[in-house]
Amino acid sequence: MQLALNEKRLLLELARVGFSSPNELGQVLDRPAESVIQYGGLLSQKGLAVVERSVTTHLILTGEGEQYCREGLPERQLYMSFGDSSPMTELNRHPHAKIGLGWMKRLGWVRIEGGVVTKTGLAEPSALESALKTLESAGPDIKKELLKRGLATEEESVTYIIKVTEDGRKLADAGLDLTEETGTLTSDQISSGAWRDLTLRRYDITKKPRPVWPGKTHPYQRLIDEMRRILLDMGFTELYGGVVQGAFWNFDALFQPQDHPAREMQDTFHLKERSDLPSGWEQVRDIHEHGGNTSSCGWGGRWDPDKAKATVLRTHTTSLSIQHLAANPKPPVKAFGIGRVYRRETIDPTHLPEFEQLEGIVMDEDVSFRHLLGYLKEFYGRMGFSNVRFRPAYFPYTEPSVEPEVWIDGLGWVELGGAGIFREEVTAPWGINSPVLAWGLGVSRVAMLRMGLSDLRELYQSDIDWVRHTPVMTQPKGGDC
Amino acid sequence: MPVVSLPYKYLERLTGTDRKTIIDRLPMIGCDIERILDEQVDVEFFPDRVDLYSTEGVARAMKGFLGLVSGEEEYDTRQSDITFTIDENLRDIRPYLGSAVIRNVNLDNEAIISLMGVQEALHWVVGRGRSKVAIGVHDLDSITPPFRYFGSPPSRSFVPLDFTEEMTLTEIMEKHPKGRDYAHIVEGKSVMPLIEDADGNVLSFPPIINGELTRVTENTKNILLDVTGTDERAVMTAVKVITTGLISAGAICEQVMVNGKPCPDLSPTIREVSVSACNALIGCQVSPDEMAEILKKMRYGAESAGPDTVRVRVPCYRADIMHDWDIFEDVAIGYGFDNLNFALPPTSTLGCEHPVMTRSGQIRVICCGLGFQEVMPFTLSNDATMYTRMQRPSNPGVLRVLHPISEEQTLLRTDILPLLLDLLRINKRRELPQRIYHVGDVVCDMKTGQKVALASTHPGADFSEAYAVTDALCREMDLLYEVRESSDPAFIEGRRADIVVDGRVIGVFGEVHPEVLTAFDIDQPVAAIEITLNR
Repeated sequence: MQLALNEKRLLLELARVGFSSPNELGQVLDRPAESVIQYGGLLSQKGLAVVERSVTTHLILTGEGEQYCREGLPERQLYMSFGDSSPMTELNRHPHAKIGLGWMKRLGWVRIEGGVVTKTGLAEPSALESALKTLESAGPDIKKELLKRGLATEEESVTYIIKVTEDGRKLADAGLDLTEETGTLTSDQISSGAWRDLTLRRYDITKKPRPVWPGKTHPYQRLIDEMRRILLDMGFTELYGGVVQGAFWNFDALFQPQDHPAREMQDTFHLKERSDLPSGWEQVRDIHEHGGNTSSCGWGGRWDPDKAKATVLRTHTTSLSIQHLAANPKPPVKAFGIGRVYRRETIDPTHLPEFEQLEGIVMDEDVSFRHLLGYLKEFYGRMGFSNVRFRPAYFPYTEPSVEPEVWIDGLGWVELGGAGIFREEVTAPWGINSPVLAWGLGVSRVAMLRMGLSDLRELYQSDIDWVRHTPVMTQPKGGDC
Repeated sequence: MPVVSLPYKYLERLTGTDRKTIIDRLPMIGCDIERILDEQVDVEFFPDRVDLYSTEGVARAMKGFLGLVSGEEEYDTRQSDITFTIDENLRDIRPYLGSAVIRNVNLDNEAIISLMGVQEALHWVVGRGRSKVAIGVHDLDSITPPFRYFGSPPSRSFVPLDFTEEMTLTEIMEKHPKGRDYAHIVEGKSVMPLIEDADGNVLSFPPIINGELTRVTENTKNILLDVTGTDERAVMTAVKVITTGLISAGAICEQVMVNGKPCPDLSPTIREVSVSACNALIGCQVSPDEMAEILKKMRYGAESAGPDTVRVRVPCYRADIMHDWDIFEDVAIGYGFDNLNFALPPTSTLGCEHPVMTRSGQIRVICCGLGFQEVMPFTLSNDATMYTRMQRPSNPGVLRVLHPISEEQTLLRTDILPLLLDLLRINKRRELPQRIYHVGDVVCDMKTGQKVALASTHPGADFSEAYAVTDALCREMDLLYEVRESSDPAFIEGRRADIVVDGRVIGVFGEVHPEVLTAFDIDQPVAAIEITLNR
């Protein structure tokens, strides 16, 4: 049996005296009584000793009780405040008149006749008064009285007796090695080889350590990085760009009609600054007005360059995609971006004015809608959503358009993003002749599903404890992987 | 997107099929089912398919999609002798008017609700809140043709819908609930759009309110439709959607002569489309005949017109068909997305991380190694957080949004540290020490840049800690830096320093000033660092 040095010393002492209190044992072993109780506990776990705990209650004085103990009870103070007799009116001015007078009368210290209080001469110290000085010797009635008058309260005290067991005595009798134990191993002890002669103190592995919180990335960033990794693995180039965009790139280049409500101040954050139009803007104007050289009829009406010069906080990362395509009109192009986008929405648990969006685009000569669905299935599959279905949808800048839905146990089919092939009205102005597959996804929505959050704000105004307690290797919630 | 309520009984009567079949298949023509109720299903259609904003329109589409009928619905129109004139004085105000007479209507309650619903949806989606298009329906039998659409002085008066007294146009704009809602569209014009009959009875004050005289009830047998607006195509779309819907429900449409031109023209638009172009876009292999069959299922008229051509008759109500690809999408829907052979294309490209993201990732590694936890605060902030509480003057390059939603989000952050302090406030009851960081976008002078900020709070957080972390951060970022006394009022004097690289100040660190801590409601010392990353 493995015993620490302190346990051995306690056991030897117990074997000598049989049983004792922690205080006495502590004096012998030169250890605090609390430590002795702890060693006794360890010995009792091994069946070598028994720690008997007993609880007793006793009285202690309250603040009021202590004050009266020093200054006398109210009736005594009042009694001492006058000579042989005094008019009632006089006595009533004393601070203790109210309680004191009643008690003096009840104890037979005074008589009251015709408004005059006269001492009887019998004012021996009462049982209560002596009990205040020596609480423990008070009889049960007096104790009750003390509690009733709020002069004393009951307090529990715990006492311990540690006894040696039969096994303990046998072990002690067989003799114990009392070599000193070492706590911290020093550099000298290691290099000199002195460690060979040391007894290293054993640690109690049942005691949990104080938690340490490592520096780590945010759970949401880890999800974003997971998505980035998937797309990089699939051969996509990452896009990054400004959050402030001209309305031209955010709306017009994406064939959003100029009177579309989403462009207005109601839905989009506008800035007072103005943006310049890029060269080639006339092609976009023609597309809007009559379809340019495509089979489109355009939106009709007049396209106003001034409206396109408005500056907005980007409402989608598609504004980056189209600029990347305009700069790289020759196939193949595979690109993605994850970035913050802005919508003029009032904050509530599921809506925020800013959130992350993922967007991927694939441009190549022979890609088609079935390839887009293939990409979506692959991407969602790698995200852990293996059950995906597709529904028709509408977005102003894609045709055909599709909304992927993923199956989530407990929730059913959940819409997760939008996709489509960029309309010819979007690609033609930039000389892009190949189809462009595009899909977008609200990253924060995936975060809510994966992390089981009910409030999006948790991502951006995080409780540090949530970050601390979310493991780096979190198992996904919701998905079926 | 508007929500359309589809009552089962009416829908079943129009389609001749049961509600379960309809609800099951509805999403596959493109809509979101909002809720399924006892008597009706509420559906959200996409804003391009305004023809689905009525029960009649949905029934028409579903009958084809479910294979109950094939091909387009044909619309006979008779010429009526009713005429409408548009006065020149509306040219710069609200110049377009479309009209139709619909006879033999059977307006039971469901049909009236459907008519009101489609009108409301069109007002929003096509009409942009009535400014672009406004629709009025009238009981034709209470008025006398010919009709006149003209600009009237605002002093003209009539009894508006839901009122019993005559009111002037000005009074209507001020007092009538619809007047208050829509007055802004015509406010400030010298004349107001008005429609009157041969006897001078007012039918309507578009886009605001109809007259009480022509109120449509369950007893109405013949309807006069007026659609006014600022965009001719949108006006005609609304006329076509409403009239074709009523014809589907069994009514008869008559044309009205509007400035000498018959209206509405419900004939289809012809498009000849390439089958190979469609196959290439969708990724299917259909023949011209198969493509025509699919399109007929989607309620087009269609026939093969050559080895690679299908001639398509696009129904007049399909305002969304702007381009051949719009037709190809319907081929994909009719073919069924699930029947396409999903695959990844052979496109070969190499993945490439953006350098800014590479750098952010490396900085995260350093900060985590230094024991800091990442946080991801908002990028929208306000003057109080960004500058006032920091005791800093506002940045001249800050961008403020024009119409903020709340006082909390009025500008784009130019710094990150203030947001970290705000997070420490939120977390002030959590166990110390707390060490947090963020690397992310900031915006100044329209340009998006990047900064990293770190903050450490605990009873011993001090200048030495900030200096040591700065030193380690700069070392790991391979920055040769010097420090100079800083004058940044967010930090304590004598306990703050600027970080200088190549003679330029790129950051600051130190002990956050107690005034700043108090302003953020933080009661422990904070050691902090902020560094600009882009140079």
